[in-house]
Amino acid sequence: MPLSESDFPVQEHSLKNGLQVRLLRDASLPVCTLYSFFRVGSRNERPGITGISHLFEHMMFNGSKKYGPKEFDRRLEAAGGTSNAYTSNDLTAYYEDFASEALPLVLDLEADRMASLVIDDASLARERDVVKEERRFRTDNDIDGMMDEALGALTYLAHPYRWPVIGWMSDIEAITRKDCESYFRQYYAPNNCTLVLVGDFEPETALREIEKLYGPIPAVPPPPAVPSGEPPQKGERRAVIRYPSQAPALLAGFRGPDGRDPDSLVLDLIEAALSSGEGARLKRALVYEQELCVDSHVYFGWRMDPGPFEISLKLNPGVDPSRAEGALWAELLRICDEQMPQRELERARNLVRSHLLRALATTNGRAHTIGQMEVMLGTWRALLDLPDRYAAITAADVRRVAQKTFAPHRRNVITLIPGEVEA
Amino acid sequence: MIAHDVALPPLHVEKLPSGLTLLAVQKRGLPLFHVRLSLPAGACEDPRGKAGLAQFTVDLLRRGTRRRPAPDVDEMIESMGAQLFADVSMEEAALALTVPSELSERALDALLEVALEPAFDENEVAAARRRTIAALQSDLDEPSTVAGRALVTLGYGPGHPYAHPAQGFRRDVDTFQREDALSFHATRYQQQGGLLAAVGQSSPAELIELLKRKLGQWEASWPGRSQRSPLQFAALPPGHATRAVIIHKPDSTQTQVRIVSTGVPRSTPRYAEAVVANTALGGGFTSLLVDAIRVDRGLSYSVSTRLHMNRRAGLSVFASFTKNETLRELVDVAMEKMRAYAASGPSNDALEKARTYLAGLFPLGLESHEALGEQIADALLDGLGLEHLKTYRSRVLAVAPEPAREMAAELSPARDGALLIAVGDADAARSALDGLCPVEVRQLEEFA
Repeated sequence: MPLSESDFPVQEHSLKNGLQVRLLRDASLPVCTLYSFFRVGSRNERPGITGISHLFEHMMFNGSKKYGPKEFDRRLEAAGGTSNAYTSNDLTAYYEDFASEALPLVLDLEADRMASLVIDDASLARERDVVKEERRFRTDNDIDGMMDEALGALTYLAHPYRWPVIGWMSDIEAITRKDCESYFRQYYAPNNCTLVLVGDFEPETALREIEKLYGPIPAVPPPPAVPSGEPPQKGERRAVIRYPSQAPALLAGFRGPDGRDPDSLVLDLIEAALSSGEGARLKRALVYEQELCVDSHVYFGWRMDPGPFEISLKLNPGVDPSRAEGALWAELLRICDEQMPQRELERARNLVRSHLLRALATTNGRAHTIGQMEVMLGTWRALLDLPDRYAAITAADVRRVAQKTFAPHRRNVITLIPGEVEA
Repeated sequence: MIAHDVALPPLHVEKLPSGLTLLAVQKRGLPLFHVRLSLPAGACEDPRGKAGLAQFTVDLLRRGTRRRPAPDVDEMIESMGAQLFADVSMEEAALALTVPSELSERALDALLEVALEPAFDENEVAAARRRTIAALQSDLDEPSTVAGRALVTLGYGPGHPYAHPAQGFRRDVDTFQREDALSFHATRYQQQGGLLAAVGQSSPAELIELLKRKLGQWEASWPGRSQRSPLQFAALPPGHATRAVIIHKPDSTQTQVRIVSTGVPRSTPRYAEAVVANTALGGGFTSLLVDAIRVDRGLSYSVSTRLHMNRRAGLSVFASFTKNETLRELVDVAMEKMRAYAASGPSNDALEKARTYLAGLFPLGLESHEALGEQIADALLDGLGLEHLKTYRSRVLAVAPEPAREMAAELSPARDGALLIAVGDADAARSALDGLCPVEVRQLEEFA
């Protein structure tokens, strides 16, 4: 079932300064979502300032020329709205969900901080402390976080995907106001941004307002290219973490294709077959039948450059990690060697299609999906034929991509062993 | 200015003679169908010494029915592109599925089979017991999960039906037998007090007709009501002095903090005043506590106050975390701000902001099929009625300063008798909290 353009009457505009605007009216509820996608993430960083994209995301809420410190969220919440943001390896996205009456204010707030963000030493110092707490929470005291960080450093030697989005603690401490100002000038320009507005609004009025507020912001020269090289992997890589946990854990990663490579869609189906739902292969084999794991997860997300396909196993207390690892490789071998039954392929397609449909069920979800398609695949229209593209994937495609991706010499394995590090 | 209350989509509610409520909601747009079954089989129904049985029972439903084994149940559901939601709150067990519209009949058949015809196979029960015990131990690696388990256990106090996490405790789960699940299912998965909801593109009349037709196939085998003893919801005893419980998690460089006091039940007639007062204190990003702790001092990444509102009782909870070195500073700032707020209530600006914030964002909670079904079902089951949703915006916008101030005093987590929970390195936490209040150190394993 393809999605129809009549269901998604997205209006496309580009301002003279390069700002891309995507508008989708939906008056079913009196709310709107505005997303600002900036094409900058941790892949645009360099050693010494890792984490600046994420730290900068925090700084965007600390005041601009017209709306001073604390004003952004204060004004927004007082008008019936809320904001948040996230930083990934590839992009930084800011959004506001709000009562539709607040649209003029929201556009003014966003345009003002793109035009004239103010960065001062005091707010940078406070925000640095907040980010360090976030790092302690998500990474230093979190098993998944510490393993994921180790896997990135193992899987990539040369590419910026090597470092964590939140950055190394020593870099977070060292980033200066000057670094931030230069980062802002380079990446927070209209020609590096896609604006997506979805909800209950009049498109003509909204577009006029966007042109008025964003039009005067000058474009900047395109950002420097990201060093995207990575030597081919010539053998399995391993690392061990010792941590006082209740049980061992395993995280395996394979470098896969980039998001625009058609093989990415095949890996989406493999991800669903391995880990979506209770009947997924890994859950059935490792959790229910062999009772090796409390839980298993697969994560594969589209990236701008060849990204990782990750498999995480939270082992039952006392289970020997090598046993769980052996069971995992056996399941991956099955995907590589045996043709996936048609019924299972259909199940995976249906799960992926449902996931896509459910992402479109909310105003925020529609805005996010449109923007993500623009930034990652080059056009929001990619959304329309995704169901057909998934439907065209065959069992032979699954086997071919699995063999290419899961070859033993491409393995990267982090094992977490309960216990203390010996001094 | 927020203009008006939000109109609910076309819907129909019908209570059957059996005591089961049918709810049909028409939602146009995406071609999806959502079905949700809520039953009076939540964690508060766990028998004494069997904490976790409601969750254990709902987890077992999908592990085989009288018609098919577990892998075939998974296949039946997931071949539709759906994933079964099966979980318990304190009050209810809920099962839900969302499928493409054309699969609505299959989805209803699957959901009712799983809910009403579980096999509770002996081997599956034993395996589920092993899995649950392993998961409970594994959860000890998550400091925020431990804090959450501790706050309900200690916050409600011994003997209260809400005083345990839904997942239970290892010592109780270890005793679960097939007969426990069978008996719990036979006495709690009844029509009386249950609600079956459908949200889809068809008209409410068509959806009701579909629900009734499908129910007809189960009428004979689904008990209407069963006899069981009513639960005892004694009022939470007032605490007299603030006390702290440190839960030792070795090698933590950060401490999870919860400050807990008695709250209000969801049925409180002053619901609007409660959510407004809480939002101004620690609900939004510009609330008093986020401003003081995160924005002004950079002490934490996350700061909030939440009203844990169950049907018959609730807690008022402050939640945050910080590095061990600043634990005392965070606690001092939080307690001082919360005490001052209890005395003065929100400023006029803060009150106005909280009211508009809640009213403006309210429709977002009704957007997806799942959210719409859950919100309306909960409003009906809690006895609040559709008016609770229909008039939410106007009630919240009408909250006046004096009632908001009264609620601020009544709900501040930092009242006398508050319980402070710190999950982290015990030595660091004990030293940080020295002189603040009596401190007791508990071991992590006690909360598994």
